[in-house]
Amino acid sequence: MIQMYHVDLRYAGGTYGLRDVSLVLEKGDFVFLTGASGAGKTSLLRLLFGAQKPSAGQILVAGRNITRLPATQLPHLRRQIGVIFQDFKLLPERSVFENVAIALEIAGVSRSEIRTRVWSMLKRLGLGHRIDHKPRMLSGGEQQRVAIARALVNDPPLLLADEPTGNLDPALALDIMDIIADAHARGTTVVVATHDPALLERYRHRRVVLDGGRLLSATGPDEYSTPLRQLGVTRA
Amino acid sequence: MDVRMSRRIRAALRAGARGAAERPAVFLLAVATMSAGLLVLGAYLLVVANLRGVLARAGADLRLVAFTELHAPANDERVAALAERMRAQEGVGEVVYVSPERLRADLGSDAGVLEGLERNPLPGSFEISPPADVRDPARLRALAAKLEALPGVTEVRWGEPWVEGYAKVVRIAEWVGVGLGAFLLMVLGAIVSSTVRLSLHARADEIQIQRLVGAGGWFVRLPFCLEGALQGMLAAVLALVVLRAAFAAGLPLLGDALSWVLGGRPAVFFGSLESAALIGLGVALGLGGALASLVNLDERG
Repeated sequence: MIQMYHVDLRYAGGTYGLRDVSLVLEKGDFVFLTGASGAGKTSLLRLLFGAQKPSAGQILVAGRNITRLPATQLPHLRRQIGVIFQDFKLLPERSVFENVAIALEIAGVSRSEIRTRVWSMLKRLGLGHRIDHKPRMLSGGEQQRVAIARALVNDPPLLLADEPTGNLDPALALDIMDIIADAHARGTTVVVATHDPALLERYRHRRVVLDGGRLLSATGPDEYSTPLRQLGVTRA
Repeated sequence: MDVRMSRRIRAALRAGARGAAERPAVFLLAVATMSAGLLVLGAYLLVVANLRGVLARAGADLRLVAFTELHAPANDERVAALAERMRAQEGVGEVVYVSPERLRADLGSDAGVLEGLERNPLPGSFEISPPADVRDPARLRALAAKLEALPGVTEVRWGEPWVEGYAKVVRIAEWVGVGLGAFLLMVLGAIVSSTVRLSLHARADEIQIQRLVGAGGWFVRLPFCLEGALQGMLAAVLALVVLRAAFAAGLPLLGDALSWVLGGRPAVFFGSLESAALIGLGVALGLGGALASLVNLDERG
């Protein structure tokens, strides 16, 4: 699903966001991307959904080399990727329904199908009673569930989550992670960037550790760690 | 166009309409600012249109006079043949023969100086009206030379200093018109571009989310372009309404002064064609300003 080969992300001024990162994720994987703040987790996710281009190296997502993908082709790729952020990124003046429907409207889905799919997704995430509410009327956990609904309503094969529980209390964080785990169980490849040890402890999935923009050996229990050689990593 | 694409276009239009409705202040500010600019431009064009009418009338009075050695009555065959040869020349409009007798009659009381002469010494002449596109000194000079070369024509006069003055006035009016028009258009374009940028800034979050879920460049741009075009159209209509009201209110106040400036010709407001052109200009400006501010929109978001 994801292949990264010797990827660098260099900023103006010569500092590196990522350096010589190589990584292979198979279809159906669930991977925690972890590391301290500033380790490069968000930068790596931004590369995966094409918000930035790497300075060097190659990145393939869903079989497409996004380093060579023209900007005009990027929307097609993004319709296959669901993205969740720590700050939810909801439109405050739109209802819950409208916030979720936007992904389907852009995909050109009919209005009747949009109604059916949005309703079904919101019901699945326990937001059926909130469909006409504005985001400001929702709790943090509910807002993040709306963001997840928007990311999943299009049935993307890949879900990227950047600190999805960072703004939530522990109980809500587990609630959100259960929803993401459910999406994974339905076949979605999931990459979650987090530095929350409680989540890493509770959800025993593969972990990829970043430090100062470099990919390090995985941490945590051995049976869930991913040795670099299995990930196709070549250290500089 | 496939079904999905038409749904996307409708979705983009709905998103644009929602975005504009959520920020009416930005929308109305843009309309008001553009309208003020178009009002200035419209007022200027109205003045130019009326002055052009004055100049056109002055130009229509322009005549070349070709004197002839034919001392014949107007119905003489030779006169008719010469008039026909003149009409065959390029750049000749109407040709009217003025016989010596007619000229003498036109002198009225001044004709007394001719009393006692055996024969009428006044020459016959042809008055030639050049069409509007020939009313410049160089072409008139060439036309006069051609007419003078015709057998039977002794001399051609065409009031060269007056024509050169007239041509200069027209040329200056046109250049001032083009310069001022271009300047006003640039100012208006900059205003539209700034307001669209303001709108872009106000909707940055929405655009980011649209990008995130796979909106293409046109999906983001289309609503802004249509919003710009709509703003331009509303601004032009508003400018026309204000201008019409000011025109109706101002005419009685200006009265005689305006009549003197326009040479007795009544001031006229834009016709439906000019009004439609101003509205079209507003739409084009709105669209152009929007496109200009969207050129550098980040495709990656």
